Amino acid sequence: MRTPGHQHPITRMVTEINSIFAELGFVFADGPEVESEHYNFDRLNVPKNHPSRDMQDTFWFKDDDVAEATVLRTHTSPVQARYMESHAEQLPIRMICPGKVFRNEATDATHEAQFFQLEGLEVGEGIHLGHLKGTIEYFFEHFLGGDVEVRFRPGFFPFVEPGVEVDMRLLSGDSNLKGKWIELMGAGMVHPNVLRDSGIDPQKYSGYAFGMGIDRLAVMKYGINDVRDLYTGDLRFVNQF
Amino acid sequence: MLVSWNWIKDYLGDTTLTAADAANLLGMHAFELEGIEETDGDTVIDVDILPNRSSDCLCQRGIARELASITGTPLAHDPLATQPELPSCTDILVDIADTNACPRFSASLMRGIAVGESPQWLKDRLEAIGQRPINNIVDATNYVMFAIGQPIHAYDAALFPQVDGAWRFAVRFARAEEQVKLLPEAGKDEERVVTCQGTELLIVDQSSDTPIGLAGVKGGSFAGVHDGTTDIIIETAHFHPTVTRKTARRLGIVIDASKRFENEPSRELIPYTQAEVTKLIADIAGGTLEGVVDVYPEHVEPVTTTIDPVRVNALLGLSLAVTDMVTLLERLGATVHRDTDKLEVISPWERTDLAIEEDYIEEIGRLHGYQHVQAVAPTPRSLPEMEMNARQYYSEVMRHTLLAAGFSEVITSSFRKKDEVQLKNALASDKRYLRSNLTKNITETLDTNASFADLLGTNDTRVFEIGTVFHKTETGIGEHVSLALGVRVKPSGYSGKEDAGVDQTIEVMNEALGTNLPTPINAHASGTTKTGVAFRYEKGVLEIDFTHLIKTLPQPEAYLPVTVGEAIQYQPFSTYPYVTRDIAMWVGESTPANEVETLLNEHAGSLRVRTTQFDEFTKDGRTSLGFRLVFQSKEKTLTDSEVNAVMETIYTAVSERGWEVR
Repeated sequence: MRTPGHQHPITRMVTEINSIFAELGFVFADGPEVESEHYNFDRLNVPKNHPSRDMQDTFWFKDDDVAEATVLRTHTSPVQARYMESHAEQLPIRMICPGKVFRNEATDATHEAQFFQLEGLEVGEGIHLGHLKGTIEYFFEHFLGGDVEVRFRPGFFPFVEPGVEVDMRLLSGDSNLKGKWIELMGAGMVHPNVLRDSGIDPQKYSGYAFGMGIDRLAVMKYGINDVRDLYTGDLRFVNQF
Repeated sequence: MLVSWNWIKDYLGDTTLTAADAANLLGMHAFELEGIEETDGDTVIDVDILPNRSSDCLCQRGIARELASITGTPLAHDPLATQPELPSCTDILVDIADTNACPRFSASLMRGIAVGESPQWLKDRLEAIGQRPINNIVDATNYVMFAIGQPIHAYDAALFPQVDGAWRFAVRFARAEEQVKLLPEAGKDEERVVTCQGTELLIVDQSSDTPIGLAGVKGGSFAGVHDGTTDIIIETAHFHPTVTRKTARRLGIVIDASKRFENEPSRELIPYTQAEVTKLIADIAGGTLEGVVDVYPEHVEPVTTTIDPVRVNALLGLSLAVTDMVTLLERLGATVHRDTDKLEVISPWERTDLAIEEDYIEEIGRLHGYQHVQAVAPTPRSLPEMEMNARQYYSEVMRHTLLAAGFSEVITSSFRKKDEVQLKNALASDKRYLRSNLTKNITETLDTNASFADLLGTNDTRVFEIGTVFHKTETGIGEHVSLALGVRVKPSGYSGKEDAGVDQTIEVMNEALGTNLPTPINAHASGTTKTGVAFRYEKGVLEIDFTHLIKTLPQPEAYLPVTVGEAIQYQPFSTYPYVTRDIAMWVGESTPANEVETLLNEHAGSLRVRTTQFDEFTKDGRTSLGFRLVFQSKEKTLTDSEVNAVMETIYTAVSERGWEVR
């Protein structure tokens, strides 16, 4: 009998995340890593030539190789637009999308040019910020084990309005994180333009969306000190999991 | 953006707030707080102003206004409170060719000023927010821009040619190949000469049709203010944000002025700006305002938005009374009319970002405070049929199988130095392409890790990855998920001994998936299986088109159960080389190996990172045990003598127990 191998912490977390959200009926959705400018930006209410484009440094494909402007997705949010579009007639919906995303940014111990994000979305009648707060609390209580408190601060992401930054603190357990507010993610109520462009009537339906870095969760959950180690294939790293 | 607390207090008046209170309120109700720092006689708060508020809050007054809205205490002094009355001027003419690109342009004439040093209070203000004082005229224009957000440019009137007694500005688009001389960039002495494409908006001296600045982006040195200047023309205008942004991006110019123009400050700021800057110059440099020309052909009316109070509470999850909503909106500076069950809201004129109902819902939510939003626990719901993610399911099946077969999982870089699909803008020269396969990454991963086998305590190195690969298609860029696994027996490279391990793995994968990948898949080959799934198998590495493979498999009905393992606390690993030492000894036949291992470990000290037993046999009533000890430091490369010293301690301890080192 061989000694078993070690699972990568990212896929281990993705599986845990999926098991927590599947209990609530959140569908694990997929989308392409090579994404059109249309879905990555335009459909998310990030217009061309608008300063909000600067919030994400983008890798582009060569014009000769593609029929329309195409990027390596800068976030998992285009999957929101794709999923709403294909499920506009099947509301209410709950969806998560964990996946790899890319940013054309200098790397350091807390930033990689490629990393994993978790997108979450719920759309239905009467959905409000309180549902967002409750769902995030539920997730972290199960993911970290223990009581958590979630707070919102104002934030800006073009595809939500209102937009919030989400902080969390652990209220129980013996983690050294206990009691400290930790910046977790961006979230908010899906912008009416995004709903409308996906074929959903914003006067009748509302929804929340959230997006967080899974790498950051790894830092928080396991105490990883350099996120770049996640993507080197170095077993001195992986074998600790 | 840096905020000076002293400056803010000019607007707030008497306040019981401390800088720390203000920072906290801003952080919880308005902006992301980056930091707060005590400086000499001031406190500087650093806030991150995002694109939605860059139109009105890239300035000190905007921040003060936010505090007033949050606390409900109006500003004691607000430079934007009353529409200024300015004398008119007939000596300056402005010709705007495109009023969409330049909806408003104003210029004022001041005579009798004296250029000199700024007073200390002004220098302190500018220095507090990281600006370098230059002279009283430049400092005044900068001060007003940082105070209320509207960029300003000053010219020496004597150096600006007149035609028939009038100064003549024109604003027009550039002609192709037209050249503009710009002020030197920060830290440089030379003017930058820009050759236009025709999309750039220019400010022109109409007397000679000479471009004197790239509108909204950067000014030129034309008619620059100097020590002897006595009469000045002060220009302040509104340029289309997209026109400005396109030119600024193309030329890579991001300065305080262009950043503000790109974010569309209100057009109504222009007269306030002229009033503020001419008054400040008169105060600190003397001179009198002769008059102002203000060309503003098409006025923009403030936006009126209808708000349904029911929707406000429905989106925020609150139960605010309508009167509370009205109060919060009025604190923003909005004008509110109650119309039966709806609110008609006119935005404060400086808030160009408020356009739709949801914008106001956010304003109400954040001013009231998101701490009032009560969490609603989610109700469980079953997963919709046919919405199981087959990729996730089968990836998990593969992980369970491969982990059990001794493979560890890696996630490697999607970028490569050379491959099929090239990026337009790469991060680095060794990351220009996207991977078209995982085989190369897995091979390199084996190369790196095979030399760690002793450290990791493994006989061979086994890794796998499930990840996306990219290739060119006839219509664009294609991608699919690939699964690759590899075995390496020797650090020196592929030896041929790996194939048996891979072949066995294919068998267990087939069992787990219910597939019949050919076993063994023809070594050193690539091709497709009977069901059309592409694979390649070379030098101990097997790669399969996983996306295609999944399509041949049944849709899953439930995810695998997730076992929650023990909590893991990661320890940073040492990047220094490790050293191994083998020890073998005779012990009594009944002596258990773990007793020996315990003794070895006790005496090996803190540099030991692993002990692996590699040998055991019994002969003539004695047992021989062999162990490999691995030593590594977190701080340095170990020397032989350091490790030898540890081994001496171990030899002594072993001998004292009566065991005979071989």
